Amino acid sequence: MIELIEVTRHYRMGESTVKALDGVSLAIGDGEYVSVVGPSGSGKSTLMNLIGCLDSPTAGRYALGGEDVAKLGRDRLADVRNRRIGFVFQSFNLLPRVTALENVELPLVYAGIPGRRRRQIAREVLERVGLSDRAHHVPNELSGGQRQRVAIARALAGRPSVLLADEPTGALDSKTGVEIMALFRELNRDGMTLIVVTHDADVARQADRVIQVRDGRVLSDLPAGEWVA
Amino acid sequence: MKLLKSVESLRMSVRSIGANKIRSFLTALGVMIGVGAVIALVALGNGAQVSVQQSLESLGSNLLIVYSGQPRGSSLVRRNTSNIVPALTDEDVAMVAGLGPDLVSRVAPESTSTSQVKFENYNTVATVSGTTDAYPHIRNFHPIYGAFVSPADVDARRTVAVIGAQIYRDLFPAGGDPLGARVRIDGVSFTIIGVMEEKGSSAQDTSLFIPITTFQRHITGGTKYQSLNIQATSTDVMAQLEFSIEQELLRLHKLPSMEVADFYIANQLDLIGTVEGVAGTFTLLLGSIAAISLLVGGIGIMNIMLVSVTERTREIGVRMALGAKSRDVLAQFLTEAVILSIGGGLLGVAIGVGVSWAAVRFAGMASVVSLDSVFIAFGFAVVTGLFFGGYPAYRASRLNPIDALRYE
Ligand SMILES: Nc1ncnc2c1ncn2[C@@H]1O[C@H](COP(=O)(O)OP(=O)(O)OP(=O)(O)O)[C@@H](O)[C@H]1O
Ligand SMILES: [Mg+2]
Repeated sequence: MIELIEVTRHYRMGESTVKALDGVSLAIGDGEYVSVVGPSGSGKSTLMNLIGCLDSPTAGRYALGGEDVAKLGRDRLADVRNRRIGFVFQSFNLLPRVTALENVELPLVYAGIPGRRRRQIAREVLERVGLSDRAHHVPNELSGGQRQRVAIARALAGRPSVLLADEPTGALDSKTGVEIMALFRELNRDGMTLIVVTHDADVARQADRVIQVRDGRVLSDLPAGEWVA
Repeated sequence: MKLLKSVESLRMSVRSIGANKIRSFLTALGVMIGVGAVIALVALGNGAQVSVQQSLESLGSNLLIVYSGQPRGSSLVRRNTSNIVPALTDEDVAMVAGLGPDLVSRVAPESTSTSQVKFENYNTVATVSGTTDAYPHIRNFHPIYGAFVSPADVDARRTVAVIGAQIYRDLFPAGGDPLGARVRIDGVSFTIIGVMEEKGSSAQDTSLFIPITTFQRHITGGTKYQSLNIQATSTDVMAQLEFSIEQELLRLHKLPSMEVADFYIANQLDLIGTVEGVAGTFTLLLGSIAAISLLVGGIGIMNIMLVSVTERTREIGVRMALGAKSRDVLAQFLTEAVILSIGGGLLGVAIGVGVSWAAVRFAGMASVVSLDSVFIAFGFAVVTGLFFGGYPAYRASRLNPIDALRYE
């Protein structure tokens, strides 16, 4: 259960403040599949960072699984990120010097899973995103779409209960995009909570629920069937 | 789980060190030079100390020397004594000998003068020393060929001479047997009866020994001696012996105190102590200079680690986003710093030992690598790594995940 109450996130830029989020209240239940849409700069990534426990709100309350995140220390937050959340970054954020496989292994390293088991899991996840043949390439040697899939595989490796994906299909051709959406559907069927930021109305409609943001506020929050782009 | 993570941070550190080989090498170089310098310089300092000590011990063992004249700092090293008025008498010698076999094992009176020595066309300058047969044992300075002045030579005031190694070389440049050859000293003809061993010190190698009685008759006249060489029975009794001699001599010379005395006593132990002190200071000084270079090496580590942390801010952000805790990041960067300093330290030990070996082998210097300095320098290198790597690692570990991720 993800619960945001009147959450704001302001950035101070010298004299002025940028209100990236300006009073957002949301509740997303376990196992929901939600899309977040909105124009560029509307605060989607900011929202994802907050939900993913990477950032903390300027004001308002955020509870994850009934627990007030503001009250958790650095180490507990690290644990939450490690065990409960999978994050696909808009800019991938792969480690440049290590292979795809090792990138995928990273969350498992911090979960304390031994090497052999870790590699096995990482291989399976890479297989799921269709990248087994590129396991030993460093990000530099991969295409944009392949990198994106490594990022997705890495987010899935720790079997998180919540998957946050910021533009997960942005760099994918339509065929791979469709495959990834099918994978998301499948993960959701298995009980994973999915929150997907997208610009693509078709991708947004794959979810059960679409949240539209603008200027840091929730503009509409509708079941996918009722939402019109 | 703890172990697993340590293995993991070790692996990551090795990888990141390997990813930037030249930089890592330069970082380690600072520590390497520091550790190497500490070990090599301390070894050379120790070597100097040992060799000075050895040459002091070669002057004789348990040696006390009573000199005529006003005290002018203690010295066992032969000074120009020719112009000193002899003040020590046969009575003094008898008194010292009379202090008993518990304290004194030998006494040899001595007077010296610097004189021209001639043999055929050759001539040289020697420190002519009149003494007795006890002298070689007291000063640990023996003839290598022929014999030293015998008691019979002294009794009969024979004109015989034992020459130092350098005198032999000067007078017999073509070599050959010197025994029986006649040399002229201050116009008096002496028969050579022996050649002293080579000591490597010019003072000893340019000396020439004749019977003390002969010296008094032909060279100075008078019956007094310039100095008394005294060998104590053991190191333990030296202080006591020195005190007794001082008291007795004051009494015999009818003097109220040492301030107005016409003699002074040099003690080998005091001299060794002084020299050890000086050499210790010298070693300490060298060690400190080296320690400073080790410190500079440490600052080098810190500098590189700070750069490395800044460069990898995004990486740190990613790791934190994926669940790395502060201590995981701290461990990763600390491990990196410690590996660099251990690596640099090990190479430094090799270099230090190598340099001090080379100093002995090629430069003929005395050098003693002390295990202490190896451990201290190496330990210091590791501590340096921990300390100077610690701050950048700590900075990295306190980064905010989102700020780190956004860092360009
Ligand atoms: N670190 C920051 N400092 C200052 N302003 C920021 C910062 N991060 C985001 N912003 C501002 O907050 C607003 C929301 O940014 P955000 O990244 O959430 O947008 P977005 O909806 O993800 O856009 P896009 O679709 O282009 O990714 C923007 O106006 C942006 O300029
Ligand atoms: Mg964004």
